[in-house]
Amino acid sequence: MEAWLGKTTDSGKASLCANSFFGPGVVALEAGVHSLIVGWERPLHWGVAGAVIAGVVLVLLFRFNRALGVSTGLEDICALWSRRPYFRRPGLVRAGGWRLPFWLGLVLGGFVSSALAGGWAPTWDLGMWDTMVAGSQALKVGWMFVGGLFIGFGTRLAGGCTSGHGIFGVSNLEKASFVTMLCFMASGIATTFALHHFFGGAGS
Amino acid sequence: MSFVMLTLLGLVFGFVLSKSGASDYDYIQRMFLFEDLQLYGIIGAAVVLTLPGLWLIKSYGKTASGEPIVIPPKPAHRGNILGGILFGIGWSITGMCPGPILVNLGEGKIYALAALAGALIGTYALGALYSLFEKPLGMPSIEDGPD
Repeated sequence: MEAWLGKTTDSGKASLCANSFFGPGVVALEAGVHSLIVGWERPLHWGVAGAVIAGVVLVLLFRFNRALGVSTGLEDICALWSRRPYFRRPGLVRAGGWRLPFWLGLVLGGFVSSALAGGWAPTWDLGMWDTMVAGSQALKVGWMFVGGLFIGFGTRLAGGCTSGHGIFGVSNLEKASFVTMLCFMASGIATTFALHHFFGGAGS
Repeated sequence: MSFVMLTLLGLVFGFVLSKSGASDYDYIQRMFLFEDLQLYGIIGAAVVLTLPGLWLIKSYGKTASGEPIVIPPKPAHRGNILGGILFGIGWSITGMCPGPILVNLGEGKIYALAALAGALIGTYALGALYSLFEKPLGMPSIEDGPD
C-alpha cells in the first residue's frame, strides 16, 4: 500500500509528457516498470504485458522461424508416445518439437512469478470459485479435468488457442483465426454468465 | 543454445501471463463478465503491436540467420467454429487457456495438473477421432494436417 501511495510523484511526472505524442506510451511504460519493481501485489499494466507478448512473438518468428502457438504442444506431448497417424503427420513432425522447451519456460515463468511475489507454495486456492461453487477438492479436480477435456479437444479441432489464433493468427489477418477467436470469446462469455447465474455468483 | 533461448522466451511469456492476471481464475471470470477490461487490453495491445512487426518481418522475408520465413497457413473450416465454441467453454470452466495451464502449474496450483491431464486426453481423443470430423467439417486430410 505504501508503495502504491509512493507512486503519486511518478504519475505527476508522467502527466507532464501526456500532451506529447509519446505520452500514453510513456505513462504505460512507467506504470509497467513501476509495478515490476515495487508493485508485486498489483497486476502488470496491460499495455506492458501486451508489448512483452508481442516481443516474444516477433523474436520467436525472426530468430527461430516459428509461429507462436501453445496448444499444438499438447499434440507434441501425445506424439511422444502415440503412434496414431494424426500425431505422426508431416506437419507436426516438421515443426520439430520446439514447443517442449517453450512449455518448460512457461512453467518456470509461473514459478519465478510466484516465488518473487512472496514465496512459492503448492496451493488449492481458486479465487472466486471457492466462494461461488464452494465445492470439495475432489469436485475441483473433476471440474478442472472436464474443463481440460473441452480445452484439449476444442483447441485442436479449431487449430489453435488464444495464442496461435487469438494473437498470432489475428495479427497475421487469418480468416480462420478471426472466426475461431469470435467463437471462443462468445462461448466463454455465454458459459461464464450461465455458470455465475446457476451458482448465484457475481454475474447473476 | 536454442533450447536455452526457447526456454527463456517461454519464461518471459509465462512470467508476464502470471504477473498481468492472464493466468488468474478471477481475472478470466471478470473478463467474460465484462467487469474488468485488463485482459481485453492485453490481447488488444499484443495484436496491435504484433501486427506491424509481423508485417515488417514478412516483408523482409528472412529470419535473423537468413532462412526464408515460413508461416504455416491456418486452414479455415467448420472446425474453427465448433472447436472455438468448445474451447471457450473450457476456458470459462477452468479460467485457463493452454499457456496459463502451464503457468498455473509453475505457480503451484495443484488443480492445474487435472486441467493438463484433461487437455492431453481431449487432444488424444481428437487425434483418434479426426477422420470422423474431417469430411463433415471440411477439415484438411491428416497428411496435409495443420502445422
